[in-house]
Amino acid sequence: MANIAEARIRREFKEVVKSEEVAKCHIKVELVNDNYTELRGEIIGPPDTAYDGGKFILEIKIPDTYPFNPPKVKFATKIWHPNISSVTGAICLDILKDQWAAAMTLRTVLLSLQALLATAEPNDPQDAVVAKQYKENQAIFLQTARHWTNVYAGGPHREQVLEQKVEQVKNMGFEEHRARVALSSANWDPERATESLLNS
Amino acid sequence: MSDDMNSGESDHDSDTDLSDHMDEDDDYCGYYDNDTNDLDIDKPKKTDDPEYFEFELLQLEDVERFLNEEVEVLCSSQKIKPSLAKMLLHAHNWKKEFVIECHSKNPSKLLVDSKVIPKTKNQQLLAGPSAVCGVCLSQVARTDLYDLSCGHMFCGECWDSYCQVQIQQGTTLGIACMANDCDVMMPEDFLYSILSKPDLRNRYSQLSFLEYVKSHPALRFCPGPNCPIIVKAKDCRAKKVLCSTCHTMFCFKCGLEYHAPTDCDVIKKWLTKCADDSETANYISANTKDCPKCHVCIEKNGGCNHMQCSKCKYDFCWMCLGDWKAHGSEYYECSRYKENPNIANESVHAQAREALKKYLFYFERWENHAKSLKLEEQTLDKIKSRIQEKVMNSTGTWIDWQYLLDAAHLLKKCRYTLQYTYPYAYYMEKCARKQLFEYQQAQLEAEVENLSWKVERAEITHRGDLENQMDIAEKRRLTLLKDFLDI
Repeated sequence: MANIAEARIRREFKEVVKSEEVAKCHIKVELVNDNYTELRGEIIGPPDTAYDGGKFILEIKIPDTYPFNPPKVKFATKIWHPNISSVTGAICLDILKDQWAAAMTLRTVLLSLQALLATAEPNDPQDAVVAKQYKENQAIFLQTARHWTNVYAGGPHREQVLEQKVEQVKNMGFEEHRARVALSSANWDPERATESLLNS
Repeated sequence: MSDDMNSGESDHDSDTDLSDHMDEDDDYCGYYDNDTNDLDIDKPKKTDDPEYFEFELLQLEDVERFLNEEVEVLCSSQKIKPSLAKMLLHAHNWKKEFVIECHSKNPSKLLVDSKVIPKTKNQQLLAGPSAVCGVCLSQVARTDLYDLSCGHMFCGECWDSYCQVQIQQGTTLGIACMANDCDVMMPEDFLYSILSKPDLRNRYSQLSFLEYVKSHPALRFCPGPNCPIIVKAKDCRAKKVLCSTCHTMFCFKCGLEYHAPTDCDVIKKWLTKCADDSETANYISANTKDCPKCHVCIEKNGGCNHMQCSKCKYDFCWMCLGDWKAHGSEYYECSRYKENPNIANESVHAQAREALKKYLFYFERWENHAKSLKLEEQTLDKIKSRIQEKVMNSTGTWIDWQYLLDAAHLLKKCRYTLQYTYPYAYYMEKCARKQLFEYQQAQLEAEVENLSWKVERAEITHRGDLENQMDIAEKRRLTLLKDFLDI
C-alpha cells in the first residue's frame, strides 16, 4: 500500500506547488524526509481574522494507507483557537477524521484548515478553555488570538496591554509561555493567573 | 444465613457452576414446575408472569438462513437484486414491511434516503480514451474506471486498495464512495467484483454478517464469552434470556446482565457509576463485621442477612447491625434510605457528603446481595451434602429432600431480583410511587431473609413451613415486578 501513498504524494506535490494559492503565498508544502512520509505545511492566517498575517507551520504525517486514510496533521506553531489544542496543536476537524474521502488532497486539507481559522466551531471544541472564552467573551478571545498570532506566528498586530501583563507575571519568576497560557486561560486577570500558576 | 466467627468453614470447592444453572435452564417457563404440587393452584399463567419472554437460541447457520429468507422476501416482492435488498434492510433496521411499502410508493426517495443513490448524479465528462483517477492521480484507461450509482469514477486498483483498507479496519457495510462529500454506499456485489484478495472476501462476509445481526432488532449475540449462540425474539424488549450453551443470563434489549425491575438505561448508568466510584466504595468490600453485642469478629459465609452470633447467640441484621427482632415483615426498614429532610438548606459540602452517603447506602445493599448470591451457591453445596447424609442415614429419601433444593433455587432467584431493585430505587424520584416501591422492596427483603434462614436450617419436619415461605417470597417478588417492571 505504501507505494500508492508515495506515488500519490509525489503527484500531489506537483499539484500544490503549481496551484494558485501557492502562487499567492497562501499555502505551502515542503518535504521533511526523502520517503514522503513526513511533510511540513504552512498556511497564512486569513485576512480580517485574529490570525491575519500569521504564518502557521503544520506537521503532516502520511500513513501507509494514504489516501484511504487521512493524513495526521497538527499545528507546530502555537495557536489560540477553539478547535486546536493550545498545548499540543492537535486539530479537531471532521475531514481529518470520519469525513475524510480518498479523493481529498493535501491542498484540500490546507485550505480547510485555513477556513477553520476563519470560522471556528466552538460547539465541537478541541480546547475547552479556549472554546469557553470564545463563546462567553468574544472580545477577549480575539485579543488573545491576535496576541498569540503576533508572538508565535509573526503576525503584524501587537497587543501591548497583553504584552505588559505577560511581562508582569514573567517578572514574578514564571517562564514566559507558561505565564501567557495562564493569563490567556484566566481572561487576562493577573491575580487568577498567578494563583493557577502557583497551584500547578 | 450463616454465622461464623473467625473460622474458615468456607473451604468449599466451587464446582457449583453446573448445578447452579440447573434451575435457570428451564427458568423462564419451567421454573414453576419445580415447585411442589400443593403450590400448583397458584402457578401463574404465561401471561401473568411479568418475566415471561419467548425466544429462540439459534446457531449461526440458522441465522444466515433466516436473514436470507428476509432478503428473499424483499427481492421477490420488489424485483430487486439481493445486494440492494440487503442494503435497504440494513439501512432501515430490517423493517421489511416498511421498506416494501416505501419501495412500492416512491422507490427513488427510499434509495436516496438509504444512501444507495445520490440526490444528483455526478456528470463526469470523459472525453478521451483515458482520464485521471481522482485518487491515485494517474492517467487510467477509460475501461478501467468504475463508479457507484453516483457516477464518481475511480480506477479499479484504487477501489480495490480502498476496500482492502476499509475491511482491514473493520468497516464493511459503511464503505462509502471515495469522492469528497459523497455518502453513497458501496453495494456488496460491487465490492465482490472489485476485491482481489480471497481472504478479505471471507473477512468481509464474516464481518458484514455480524453487522447484519447487530442491526436486526429481533437478533442478539449471546454475550457469554466465545459463545456462538444468537438469540432471536419476536420483539426487542428488556426481558430475560438464558443461554443454554454457556448459561449466561442477560437482558435481550441491552445485552447486559438481566436487571429487572431496573431498566436498561438506568442499569447502565448505575454500573458506570459503580465502576467510577469503586474506590470510594471499596471499604465496603470488607467481609467481616463485629457482633454488635459481644464484639467478636464475624465473617459472613452464607447468603442470609439474619445473623446469629455463634458466641453470644445474639440475632442481628448484617446490613444495619440492629436487633433482628425489629426486622419482621411488617416493619422491615433496612432497605429504605432515609434522606435528610433539611438537605436543601445545608452547605455544598454537606450536600456532597449526603449524596455520597445516599449512593453508598444503595451500593452497600446492591453489593451485599451480589455477595450473598455467591454465598448461596455454597449454601446449595452444603444442602446437597446434607441431603446426601440424610439419605444415607435413611432419614427420608432423596425425593423427600428435593423441596430443599427447590427452595435454594428460589432463594437465588429472589435475591437476584432484590439486588436489581437497588439501582432502581437509587434513581427514583422521591414520590408516592417510590414509597410503594420501597414498601414492596422491604417486604421482599424480609421474606427473602426468612426464606434464607429457613433454608439453611431446614429439617424434614419443616417442609410445610418452608414451602409456605417459598410461596410468600415468590409472590412478593412477582408483585414487585408486576407493579414496576415496564412491560
